[in-house]
Amino acid sequence: MITMIEFTLNGKKVQTDAASDTPLVWVIRDEFGLKGTKFGCGVAMCGVCTVHIDGNAIRSCSYPVSLVNGKQVNTIESLNNEHPLQSAWVEEQVPQCGYCQSGQIMQAATLLDSNPNPSDQDIVNHMNGNYCRCMAYTRIKKAIKRAATSTVQHYDPKASSEGENA
Amino acid sequence: MSIKDLSKEKKDTINLSRRSFMAGSVKTSLFMAFGASAIPSILSAKEAIENKSFSPSVWFEMDTQGRVTVNIAKAEMGQHVGTALARILADELECEWDKVSIVHVDTDPKWGYMVTGGSWSVFQTYKPMSQAGAAGRQVLLNAGATLLGEPVSNCKANAGFVVSGTKKVSYGDIVAKGNIDKVYSADELESLPIKPGNKKHLIGLGNEYKALDIPPKTNGTAIYGIDVEVDNMLYARPILPPTRYGSKVTKVDDSQAKSLPGYKGYKVLSDPSGTIEGWVAVLASDYPTAIKAIDKVKVSYNAGKSVNVNEADIQEEGERICRDRSEGTLFVDEGNIQNAAKQAAESIEALYTTATASHFQLEPLNAIAEFKEGKWHIHTGNQWQGLTLPAVAKAAEVPDSDVVVHQYYLGGGFGRRLFGDWIIPAVLTAKAAGQPVKMLFMRPDDTMFDQPRSASTSLFNAYFDDSGNFTGMEHALAAGWPTLAMAPSFMPDGVDGKGKVDPFSASGADHWYTMQHHQARVINNKVAQDTFTPGWLRSVGQGWIVWGLESFIDEVAYKANQNPVDFRLSMLDGKGKQAGKAPESVGGATRLAHTLKKLKDKTANVELGENEGIGFSVTAGQERTMPAWLATAAHVHVDKNSGKITLKKLWVVADAGIIVHPDGAMAQMEGALLWGTSLALFEHNEIKNGYVAKKNLTTYQPLRMNDVPDMDIEFIESNEFPVGLGEPGVIGVAPAVGNAVYNAVGVRLRNLPMLSSDVKKALNA
Repeated sequence: MITMIEFTLNGKKVQTDAASDTPLVWVIRDEFGLKGTKFGCGVAMCGVCTVHIDGNAIRSCSYPVSLVNGKQVNTIESLNNEHPLQSAWVEEQVPQCGYCQSGQIMQAATLLDSNPNPSDQDIVNHMNGNYCRCMAYTRIKKAIKRAATSTVQHYDPKASSEGENA
Repeated sequence: MSIKDLSKEKKDTINLSRRSFMAGSVKTSLFMAFGASAIPSILSAKEAIENKSFSPSVWFEMDTQGRVTVNIAKAEMGQHVGTALARILADELECEWDKVSIVHVDTDPKWGYMVTGGSWSVFQTYKPMSQAGAAGRQVLLNAGATLLGEPVSNCKANAGFVVSGTKKVSYGDIVAKGNIDKVYSADELESLPIKPGNKKHLIGLGNEYKALDIPPKTNGTAIYGIDVEVDNMLYARPILPPTRYGSKVTKVDDSQAKSLPGYKGYKVLSDPSGTIEGWVAVLASDYPTAIKAIDKVKVSYNAGKSVNVNEADIQEEGERICRDRSEGTLFVDEGNIQNAAKQAAESIEALYTTATASHFQLEPLNAIAEFKEGKWHIHTGNQWQGLTLPAVAKAAEVPDSDVVVHQYYLGGGFGRRLFGDWIIPAVLTAKAAGQPVKMLFMRPDDTMFDQPRSASTSLFNAYFDDSGNFTGMEHALAAGWPTLAMAPSFMPDGVDGKGKVDPFSASGADHWYTMQHHQARVINNKVAQDTFTPGWLRSVGQGWIVWGLESFIDEVAYKANQNPVDFRLSMLDGKGKQAGKAPESVGGATRLAHTLKKLKDKTANVELGENEGIGFSVTAGQERTMPAWLATAAHVHVDKNSGKITLKKLWVVADAGIIVHPDGAMAQMEGALLWGTSLALFEHNEIKNGYVAKKNLTTYQPLRMNDVPDMDIEFIESNEFPVGLGEPGVIGVAPAVGNAVYNAVGVRLRNLPMLSSDVKKALNA
């Protein structure tokens, strides 16, 4: 018997009949066609597949789809190009190959949610699990600081990340 | 084509290949392109363009709004190459930058020979792009002057307008009204004025502008190979054999997989190109099923010979062939090293080694293969289509003209995506299945099928006269050779004619120091060569060759009782062959000395704590025909209890000629320095039983954000010819760190990466 799994994806109710142990990343990418979330290592060590599940940054490559039942899932697409991190990423010219950057931005967004003005060490602690093979780390750090500054000045951090525009 | 031909072609490219240039109105646009060959065409510009009879190495068009679309036949993998090339063009064309866009093209043969690597793109394209822009500007000026009713001499081009006094007409209006049909001969083109470097207004230091490829990389809309889908495709995951070469499948049992919903069977792949041996591909209607099915399909093999090869076997062979002077071929032979050795009052010897290292680009290898309307359509991100496409055609048993590679953003290249060997199993699977196939490598598959940077062995001998003066250096260097494995026709002869040389496993040994006697002998390590496909990894041979060289130069300096920086400066005199050649290496070693002097001054007052040291290196990657002059300094702390090396700060002074895209150059340098750091201190993937031992990030641990040192990077303001910058920053870090460790705690490290366990061992020795 096929069990349907229901969850909210970028603000929209969706359901899938994928096998319960299917990693969420493939459901997001191949079934719902949201390709902004990437696949990298498959063992939660690189962070390119990071999405938000009920507001927490989660590695979707190692998260079985059955566990999202009834939860809110948000991907890079939910930020609608309006998140201060996204403009900071452009201002600081962060991406090189760009493959990890959806994951970096989704990871960073949860930092700013809980800590609108992080120190350098806060940033390193929060971001160290997100790998960038082009090694654009210095710029990632700078962009988070820039977004944090703009968040503090112009932006309500509580409304910042969880797809209010989705 | 040999590497000599390749460098000649590069030179011809920068000298424009002596081609004509055409500008013609076609429909509502103005097309501009170089002629199809060096032979002048009898067609008018409009006819030639309508017949697509032009060289598309530089091809752009302008519409009636003055918008310019530049076609880029280079792979975008993080270097923002399209932006840099378009910027060169726009500077001469005098168009508005915000009206410029770029298009990355597929592999139609009309694009010419396609390769993106070797840090060559800006170097090769600078002159033709500049001349194309200048010719385009001249065409618009002439047409604009006619429209304004003014002599051309009274008109100038400025920001998308042709202006004469108070009258002006926009480029867009010229395109709309003009009936342009103009061919410049090669001679006419050569005589068109190109702005000198310091008169450029869109490029060069101080120009702030943003890369065109960045916005889509911040919102998930950039499309990589892995994101592509075609109708009716199956998903495939490969099962890799027990060795890279020579394994044969004897039996496949998929009885346990058959119950998986979505499982679509397996194919044993037979490859007419000989690239892969003993592969099985598993098919499914969705990728998660293909992942799972792998564990349920049992394959039996006759394993290839390398199944028992370990890293130590490669190193043992490396040392043997370095010590045996009958092995290999000479790459450099200056003076008479035998005499220097005979007459030496003293000598020192050192053996430097590096471990196997992986690319670990974050987008795992993937390709879609679809046979449609008589042609194979490949969807993937690839750096060297000119090399890859013929191999794919051979595997598919079709002529080259029946393969089209559709290009996407590359989720990291770093050399792994030069030769697209991963496309071949995708094509073979699709052919066997009679259906389009998307083959995706899971990370361990990708790592096992990597073309790793080979383990290397370098043996140095330095000779000194009875006054203790340094007289000469003998250098033997061995590794698996990527060019031998993947592009053997690109290998030139050694200077002694004894054999072929992989220039990408030799460059760097031909350094810019003036030495009375200097010999470099290069040897292919056959144990490595037979075990895996050695790869071109960012900075290639220079990365391991110059690590040994620049560490050993410090050893020589100390032996000669000299300060290592001053010792280097004394040998960087720019005499003889070290004087360089115009335009690309004009100034020669004196430019390298200049960067080192600046760096010496910059670091003169660095305060060093206990167990801290600062070390230096100079490098000129990637090749003598295209040197980016770099001096690097590293400030380290060594924990004597744990042996841990902490890299506190890196300084670089770089002279790379005109810096076309300053922020992009800075980004490349930042990334390259951290790559250098990662390879110096963290990355090693030893061969175990025929494969790299570490298959994923759980065990392979490159540098992460908490390991990032401070970086101080300075580009020298220069009007010289621009050279490549994607790789050269990698090279100098490891030797600077090793030299700094020696200066901090008196321990000489001779193996990469420099692990804390090695430091402890050396401290306790």
